Amino acid sequence: MRDRFSRSLITVAIAAAAVGAILSVPITRTSAQAPAASLKASAPTAVLKTPWGEPDLQGIWTDESDTPLQRSPKYANQEFFTEAQRAELDKERAALLGRDRRVDRGTELDVAGAYNAQFMSVKHTGARTSLIVDPPNGRIPPLTPEAQKTAATEREFRLALLQSTETCKKKSIACNGGKYDATPSPRFAELPPRYNTARMNRRDGPEDGALPDRCLTGGLPEFGGATGSFRRIVQTPGGISIFYDVGQGQGWQRNIVMNGSPHLPARIRQWYGDARGHWEGNTLVIDVTNFSPKTDYQGSRENLHLVERWTRTGPNTLEYVVTIEDPTVWTRPWTVKQEFTKQSDEENRIYYEPRCIEGNYASPGLMRGQRMAEAAFAKGEGPDPAISDNATDFVGVEEDPLQ
Amino acid sequence: MRGRFSRSMTTVAIAAAAVSALTSVSITRTSGQAPAAPAARPARVGGKPNFSGIWQANNEANWDLQAHAALPAAVTQPGIYPYDYARVPAAPVLALGAAAAVPGSLGVVQGDGQIPYKPEALLIKKENAEHWIDRDPELKCYLPGIPRAMYMPYPFQITQSTDKIHMAYEFSNTARTIHLDKVAGPPDDTWMGHSVGRWDGDTLVVDVTNFNDRSWFDRAGNFHSDALHLVERFSLMSPDIIRYEVTMEDPKVFTRPWRIAMPLYRRVEPNMQLLEFRCNEFVEEFMYGGLRKKQLVKHWEGDTIAVDITRKVPAGDKFYEWYGGDGGK
Repeated sequence: MRDRFSRSLITVAIAAAAVGAILSVPITRTSAQAPAASLKASAPTAVLKTPWGEPDLQGIWTDESDTPLQRSPKYANQEFFTEAQRAELDKERAALLGRDRRVDRGTELDVAGAYNAQFMSVKHTGARTSLIVDPPNGRIPPLTPEAQKTAATEREFRLALLQSTETCKKKSIACNGGKYDATPSPRFAELPPRYNTARMNRRDGPEDGALPDRCLTGGLPEFGGATGSFRRIVQTPGGISIFYDVGQGQGWQRNIVMNGSPHLPARIRQWYGDARGHWEGNTLVIDVTNFSPKTDYQGSRENLHLVERWTRTGPNTLEYVVTIEDPTVWTRPWTVKQEFTKQSDEENRIYYEPRCIEGNYASPGLMRGQRMAEAAFAKGEGPDPAISDNATDFVGVEEDPLQ
Repeated sequence: MRGRFSRSMTTVAIAAAAVSALTSVSITRTSGQAPAAPAARPARVGGKPNFSGIWQANNEANWDLQAHAALPAAVTQPGIYPYDYARVPAAPVLALGAAAAVPGSLGVVQGDGQIPYKPEALLIKKENAEHWIDRDPELKCYLPGIPRAMYMPYPFQITQSTDKIHMAYEFSNTARTIHLDKVAGPPDDTWMGHSVGRWDGDTLVVDVTNFNDRSWFDRAGNFHSDALHLVERFSLMSPDIIRYEVTMEDPKVFTRPWRIAMPLYRRVEPNMQLLEFRCNEFVEEFMYGGLRKKQLVKHWEGDTIAVDITRKVPAGDKFYEWYGGDGGK
């Protein structure tokens, strides 16, 4: 990923030159250079238009810096890092690069080391202390009492499945809130409290897998993660397609309905919702509803409502602002802002052929492994599968001072 | 007759929904928070014919590119006669009746209608056909490849710009980008190919290369190798019909280039949009059902699905009860 990053910096200059050719109004020198400097400028000095006169959002876009979704409480109401803070964070985070931080070799969690620094992208620290710009404290608003109850019920169930494992015995962070008990929980025989979307320490069937394990990535809203996040926008008069590459062979696309028609009937529920767009001045506004109850974003499912605002802020910059709302989950709507930087069309470094399904040996492998462990245990030739942890991973990410 | 009655109720409901969909459009236009009036689709984009919109083939090519008579089922077994033409539906699809049958077709292969397989490749094609449910990537919801994605029985959407054309296929949320501008090749072989387009007058010509050898052309086992090279030609026969033509070249599998051609029709419904068809979820049972702790389908023997078909016909739905209104009494 570092490689990808450094290349994209070089190609920004090339792309800037190419885009400059189709500018409808000459741009000023200030906005042509140093994309980072334009972060605060929400009013562009010039509006890029397609040949047919719509604002031009086209290209491959990514967030070239790392910004945590939520602000660390230590920054309180400080919206932007100081330059000194950013430099210090970059230094600390650079020290994490190249480390192969594994849990004890040969233990059941050793595989978590597969996701080492070669695999995960670490980008420069962004300008903001959080992607969340509203509420002003940069934090996800409190959950409603109902949503708190749901989350607690879910957590209890997952912890019950972990209670007899080394993870809880060693008081790993994955067992926070739970406690070790040598007797496996009877809750192994239960259904999860609601449709499962996350990892759990059981593999009775495919549905016990997390959505990404089943090649069913959660989807929207997409703010990027450790494995990269690219989007390609292609426009036509009255139509827009957005293809997302989110790494690990997972990707999806959205074809925004721009004809002014109302949302799909409520009975049609989709993984990526139903997206209806229109232009408000130079901003593409997309209203997204009709999410499937099988999706989950921070606890929000079929009632998730997004209002996205995409604005080209300069030759190489695209501002993305999304208001996230679900009155059944959060006590108020909240808003995230991200700035994307244009990537080279010619290098085409977006992986638009998601092959997760075609290469998903892990999902059946986990089930087969579990069945074998059960058979061995039944014959007295192996330990009770309930005392091993197949669910915990990404041990070590908590070391990133930005997270 | 309960069954029949409830069906007609459904029809009424669908008709009502359709009517309300039409009326609600006009309501929104007048009362909505004034979204800009939908842009009419111009006939040309950047001086070239505008292929943007939602399209779908309306033929049997996905069953078999070549001419074929209708078949009793997608999976058959020997009947009481030893003849190929007297085979009967087999267990995997038996309970579906005529819904599992294969429609006939005059084929889409141009010229003599033959696919010019090398002799050893023809053997593989025949074997593929015999092992259709084990081998066809479509059944596993794998990426369909090009050209198959163009004529599967699902709509696809073209978003045509001046430098890029995006094609979004409903099946398995698949996509491809056709590059009209300068672009580097892909880092690896692909299922969907690497598409580079150019204009030949008003015809869009697309060169597709960098394939792997895993996708198929149809459900009949027609296949290719990683040497496949396609030249696609898109031209408008009318504003709502594309003539789609592909030349297939693959010296590892075929003795000479060959060609398919078909019309693609615009989905002209005013409310048409692509919906999701994320079939990898749908095929989990098919692919992994045997790995469940408690099996849902009776029964699996290792990787083998032994389907014991139980079709219990409820009272009122026996076939003779459909005659004459009260035949069930």
